[in-house]
Amino acid sequence: MISIGRICVKIAGRDAGKRCVIVDILDGPFVLIDGETRRKRCNIMHLEPLEQKIDIKKGASHEEIKDIFTKMGITARDTKPKAKTTRPHKLRRSKLAKDVKTETAKTAKPAEKKTATKTVKKETTEKTEKPKKTVKKEE
Amino acid sequence: MVEGRKKSRTFRRVFKKTPGGITKKYYLKRKPAKAQCAGCRQNLKGVPRERPFKMQNMPKTKKRPDRPYGGVLCSRCMRKKIIEQIRKVSKQ
Repeated sequence: MISIGRICVKIAGRDAGKRCVIVDILDGPFVLIDGETRRKRCNIMHLEPLEQKIDIKKGASHEEIKDIFTKMGITARDTKPKAKTTRPHKLRRSKLAKDVKTETAKTAKPAEKKTATKTVKKETTEKTEKPKKTVKKEE
Repeated sequence: MVEGRKKSRTFRRVFKKTPGGITKKYYLKRKPAKAQCAGCRQNLKGVPRERPFKMQNMPKTKKRPDRPYGGVLCSRCMRKKIIEQIRKVSKQ
């Protein structure tokens, strides 16, 4: 029953209950499927073959299968290709320190001013802070 | 002494260590029963055992597996059901 062009129903996973077609036969128990489901590798045990069969080449493209499926009255699934995004990755501390140094060297005067204001603020906050009351929770 | 309502076993007791090093007894409401498969009555996996107010705030993807009949049937019963449906249609 398992051959290229055989229409199956997927019976496992998030695509369960959806129709697909076998596009390629891979090593071991695996086949490549496409159609209403995602185009992906699939175990034969997760497929329920039907009597229907369609004429397709080995490894047919998604667009070819989509055309045949629309004629049959089934809407094939389109996966949107993800837009590439650059991953934000952390710099090492040593590198960061270098960057900070260079920046401070460029703008030496304003940096000093900033630190001065910060220390003043800290002093004021320390004065205003009241000792926190420790409330014991019952039960 | 604890309150009278807490003496009954409607509340479960949980022992927790406080930051001060003392173990304290907390009285919490009991959790609901585990979710079961409607076909074979097996305990379902991937369905959290929480009180309704917590389940409300959870996202849908954390409350049940993402497949047809997810959170109702176990995977085996789901497969059987789908195969039955297919064979009924193909016979007609």
